[in-house]
Amino acid sequence: MSDAPTGTNIEGESPAVEQVVETDEVTITEDAELERTLGLPGGLAIGIGTMIGAGIFVFPGLAGAEVGTAATASFIVGGIIALLVALPTSELATAMPKSGGGYYFISRGLGTLAGTVIGLSLWFGLVFATAFYLVGLGFYALDALAAVGITVALSPGLLVSIIAVLAGIGFTILNITGTENAAKLQNGIVALLLSMLVAFLSYGLLEAFGFVDAGTPPGEAANVWEVVPVMSVAALVFTSYLGFAQVATVAGEMRNPGRNLPLAMVGSVLIVTVMYVLTIFVATSVFTQDALAAAGETAMVEVGRQLLGPGGAFVIIVGGLLATMSSANASILSTSRAIYGVSKDALLPRWASRINLKYGTPHVALGMAGGPVVVLAATRQVQLLAEVASFLHLVMYGLMCVALIALRRDEPEWYDPDFRIPGGPVVPVVGALASFGLIGFMDTASIAVGVVVIVVTAGWYFYYARNVTLRGAI
Amino acid sequence: MTRVLVPVEVLEGETVSPGLITLLATLDVTVLGYHVLPEQTAPDQARLQFEDRATDALYDLTDEFRAAGGAADHRLVFTHDRARSINRIADDVDAEAFAISGMTAEVEQLLVALSGDVAVDRILAFVEELIGDRDIGVTLFLAGSDGAADSDQLETAADRLRDAKLDVTAEHQPDGSPFDALMDAVPGHDAIVMGEKAPSLHSLVFGDEPDRVAAASVGPVLVVRNEDRHGETEG
Repeated sequence: MSDAPTGTNIEGESPAVEQVVETDEVTITEDAELERTLGLPGGLAIGIGTMIGAGIFVFPGLAGAEVGTAATASFIVGGIIALLVALPTSELATAMPKSGGGYYFISRGLGTLAGTVIGLSLWFGLVFATAFYLVGLGFYALDALAAVGITVALSPGLLVSIIAVLAGIGFTILNITGTENAAKLQNGIVALLLSMLVAFLSYGLLEAFGFVDAGTPPGEAANVWEVVPVMSVAALVFTSYLGFAQVATVAGEMRNPGRNLPLAMVGSVLIVTVMYVLTIFVATSVFTQDALAAAGETAMVEVGRQLLGPGGAFVIIVGGLLATMSSANASILSTSRAIYGVSKDALLPRWASRINLKYGTPHVALGMAGGPVVVLAATRQVQLLAEVASFLHLVMYGLMCVALIALRRDEPEWYDPDFRIPGGPVVPVVGALASFGLIGFMDTASIAVGVVVIVVTAGWYFYYARNVTLRGAI
Repeated sequence: MTRVLVPVEVLEGETVSPGLITLLATLDVTVLGYHVLPEQTAPDQARLQFEDRATDALYDLTDEFRAAGGAADHRLVFTHDRARSINRIADDVDAEAFAISGMTAEVEQLLVALSGDVAVDRILAFVEELIGDRDIGVTLFLAGSDGAADSDQLETAADRLRDAKLDVTAEHQPDGSPFDALMDAVPGHDAIVMGEKAPSLHSLVFGDEPDRVAAASVGPVLVVRNEDRHGETEG
């Protein structure tokens, strides 16, 4: 189709890329076939399953405490930015339906330096996101223990760290040794969560508009409808929208990618945006800012208790545990795919994507995902973890839009996407500006950590993979 | 020429018994090397690491099939979903049947199951071609409680095979579950031919009937495919 990638890394490995034929059902290489086994429901489950844990179960309390009902606007802004990126990502993914997602598009569209930075940043971004989900899981586990009446003689904070670390180790081991088909389970969990949420939110909305009265205390959150606070909350909660690009990391395994990829990405963004906005609306209708701030990460449990009594609290606790687990697990899986993508292109040593003979799983990559996750999860810094994850993803999102613009300008022969966004360069230009712009509203500490990661990954490129050429190679 | 797909989990060390290779000598064969991966692993990742080893094994296997008489080629697939890959490639090579390999020596007596809603004509045509002019006996087996109708169907089928100069025994089992009855009939036979059925609640819960037959009977099973197959499974 086009030029092969050239050059070798410092260990003399060159990118393992060969000519393939893609059909809707299968990728055909010279000697073998790679079955596409993931359908639209599977794709949606990855997208929604990754995202829903954070936006519904962790952020409402934190965001509502900052700006009250105006946080609905923050979530809408997040959703619009996600959509502005999901559309260009869809076009790129249908043109290059390969595993690796954003990394793949950027390395082919913008070259090896940008590719290395994004490929490795995606790894770290997912690591930060996974750690964030695990801390969320820890908070819900704490509430669950309290609900069943177990008290532990440790400070709550320490307990959250311990639970998060144990869960991180547990998921990593499960992913290395588990060969059962957890995808079906994931689909089931997502379906269960969505139906629980629809029921819960319907009741909450009826209450908020006064059709039913659950005896909630008077007083709403005071609302801060101002641009800067709303945007900085949007920057904080943007972690709730990181999942759609994870769909692109399994693009190589999706059936009929020209249709299913755009539907899965855009569809999952639209579905979670509606859910988030309604959730935050209900939460801020029930509680004042002080109450939300006091309840913190698990404010939704208190909202559930107010609306539906102990049963409501129980439902939210179970939902929160399931959702944060499914987010963490899906992210660990994506991380190992991301490491495989860069290692295949010789930007990391080839052994990083070795498969273990006994279980058939990429144990090195899973370890490289799980190890740092456990360390970060122990810090319990919800805001920092979330924002660094968002920072690293937003850089990738912005560059994906730039890559799309570059590819459309050069229009190489192989560039033939099934899905083209209308309106010429408008969507990718706005998407890039919005992605980079949102970074500006983050905490200084988060930006600093993010910049360090970018600088380190760029340093890695100059040390390790300076001689590898990937641009335009497909 | 009629083609049979022979799926083999090459990287797990699975191979094809000499008896099955000889049995299929009258037909064309596509050996399908497959490797099922857990969802944590991208199929391409496994391909990079295992492709060469699998391809070597497949070349050896196809050579054995060719040496036995028929034309043979091979395909290699890395997948998360074995059934989907087998179905797709069977469609692709237009295979009349697929084999579940099991242990057997030289096949002397073939058990042909006609129970249930299967395409009897296709099964019989397949058996005729499979046996050709070789000295392999056929036991036609039908389990069902339809009495006279079943006996008629069995006799018609037996006559058809006798016209093709095959050595046929007919066995009708009116009682009990068709599966158990078939298992009771297995002793004295070296391989089983059966038809593919539409997926049912029963097959969802207990697994595909051919797989269960293969597991219980130890010997190879040849499954004649339905005309209107394509078992879609969403994933």
